[in-house]
Amino acid sequence: MTHRTQIEDYNYSVFVGSEEFMAFRTLLPVGSSAADFEAKLLETGQRVQFSDYWKKGDVLIEFGSLT
Amino acid sequence: MARQFAPKGINFVFLYTREAHPGENYPAHRSFEQKLEHARAFKAEFNVERPILVDDLTGTAHKLYGSLPNMTYLIGRGGRVLFRADWTDPRTIEYAINYVLNSRARRREGLRLAPFYAEFVGYRWNDPGKFQEGLVRAGQQAVDDFDRAMKQRLKQGPRPGRIELPE
Repeated sequence: MTHRTQIEDYNYSVFVGSEEFMAFRTLLPVGSSAADFEAKLLETGQRVQFSDYWKKGDVLIEFGSLT
Repeated sequence: MARQFAPKGINFVFLYTREAHPGENYPAHRSFEQKLEHARAFKAEFNVERPILVDDLTGTAHKLYGSLPNMTYLIGRGGRVLFRADWTDPRTIEYAINYVLNSRARRREGLRLAPFYAEFVGYRWNDPGKFQEGLVRAGQQAVDDFDRAMKQRLKQGPRPGRIELPE
C-alpha cells in the first residue's frame, strides 16, 4: 500500500459508520502498558513523545477532531 | 476539569485525529498542514486549553489506541492503562480519576488495597441537537453522509459493540 493510499484509507472522505468498537475492547486493556507515539504539539510545533507526559504524572488523553 | 485535577498531578492532553464526519468545510485530510489548520480551528471553536497533540497523517497514534472517534484513556504515571472508554464522557472521567486518587490516598494511609481488573458499562449524555450542530459545522455532506449511514444501520441492526440495556 502506498503512502498516498494509506492516507486516503485512514482519512475516509465519506462517513459510513464506525466499525472498530469491538476491536477496541481487546486492544490495550486496563493494566496493560500504554503505547508510546510521537506527535506534533500544536501550540509550539515541537515533536513530542506521549511517554513524556506519563513520566511526569498521570495523563488523561482524549482522541477526537473538530467534526 | 483539567484545571481541577492539575494540582493532583493529572495532565490532560487531546490527540487530534482524522475528521470523523468530513464535509465541505472540514474535508478529509490530504496534507499535514491541512490537519494542523483543522486542529487550530478546533482549538479556537471550543476554546481548548489542554495541549493538543496532532497525530500524523496516517493515524499512527490513533490506530495504536483503537481508531475510535472520541475515546479516552487514563494512563498512570509509568505508563499503565488505568481506565479507558470508547466514548468520552466528562462525568465518567471524573468518576474514574477520583476513584484512582481516592484509592491511592487510602493505600497511603495504610489500607491494604490490592489492584484488580474491572469493567463497567458507562452512561453518557447523548445530545442529538449538539451532535447535529457539529455535522452542520462540517458541511452538508457530513449531514447527508450521517443520515445515509444511520438509514443503512437501521436495515442492518445495531452496530457491533453497541450496548443496549433496559431502563
